[in-house]
Amino acid sequence: MRQSAKKTEKQQEYISIRFDAPRKYRWSTGKWIGRTYLEAKENKKIVANRCPQCREVLWPPMQVCGRCKVEAGEDWVELAQTGTVMQYTYLVYPLWDPHYGEKFANPYPNAMILLDDGVYIRHFLEETDPKKLKAGMRVRAVWREDAERGEGTADIKYFRTIEE
Amino acid sequence: MPATRKLKDRDVYLYHGQIYIPNTYTAGGLGTQVLAALRDKKKILGIRCPACNRVYVPARSTCKDCFGQLSELVEVSDRGTLLTYTVVYQPHITQPVEPPIPYGIVQLDGADNGFLHMLGGADPGEFRIGMRVRAVFKKERTGSILDIRYFKPL
Repeated sequence: MRQSAKKTEKQQEYISIRFDAPRKYRWSTGKWIGRTYLEAKENKKIVANRCPQCREVLWPPMQVCGRCKVEAGEDWVELAQTGTVMQYTYLVYPLWDPHYGEKFANPYPNAMILLDDGVYIRHFLEETDPKKLKAGMRVRAVWREDAERGEGTADIKYFRTIEE
Repeated sequence: MPATRKLKDRDVYLYHGQIYIPNTYTAGGLGTQVLAALRDKKKILGIRCPACNRVYVPARSTCKDCFGQLSELVEVSDRGTLLTYTVVYQPHITQPVEPPIPYGIVQLDGADNGFLHMLGGADPGEFRIGMRVRAVFKKERTGSILDIRYFKPL
């Protein structure tokens, strides 16, 4: 519990009572998503698995191929860490993270990136200047420090613009 | 921040997260007076109903029997009698301190009803109904009912 007191004019004080009641939860990543967590944390790699029947790369990795409805197995492939921004949105409105009550970095762009091996991934961009943002720009993944990694795709801090 | 933990010998991670639920409400005019007295003067205030001649602790703005508007704040003693108690062993996010927490209903001297607060300063097994207790205040008070740390046996 935290308290704050605001004094209005004429010395009339009103005490506000504040209490935070965060609800905790936990979930298991399972074997397939767990592999992405492991590879991101240990080797700074983005991995996906391939369907044995249609040979499509499944991202995020899945146990069953959504098209063929067959067991996808563990045919792991490493995805490229460079890609092209296909579309982006630019958040201006100040929002709070509903999980920890902290303010999101503002403004920040959020983009759909087509990785060089044909997989779409949604992530943040380093570039925050709206004048420099454009669809078609080339980006590369920037990873967090070793101690900060362990949160799946959030281990990629953002995608940085690269000149080619 | 979220903490992920790898399960031993498996490619499975356990993701620990939370949903942040902040709550704020005002203590109101009367509640502010009571909490400010607790914070600034270490005094527990009750409120008297002139019609029933009854003193409520904690203070409330209406009488539960005659529904009259109450405004006469009176100071009550920081000592009282333990009417009943229980001991909580289950930890929970809404509990103000770590368990075991003895909770008691204390009738303060000068009050006509019981007042729910934590007990302390003794082993949970030592509390008895009818025991005399005294309020122990925190050193750093913020204007909260938890400025009373607990009620301690005399």
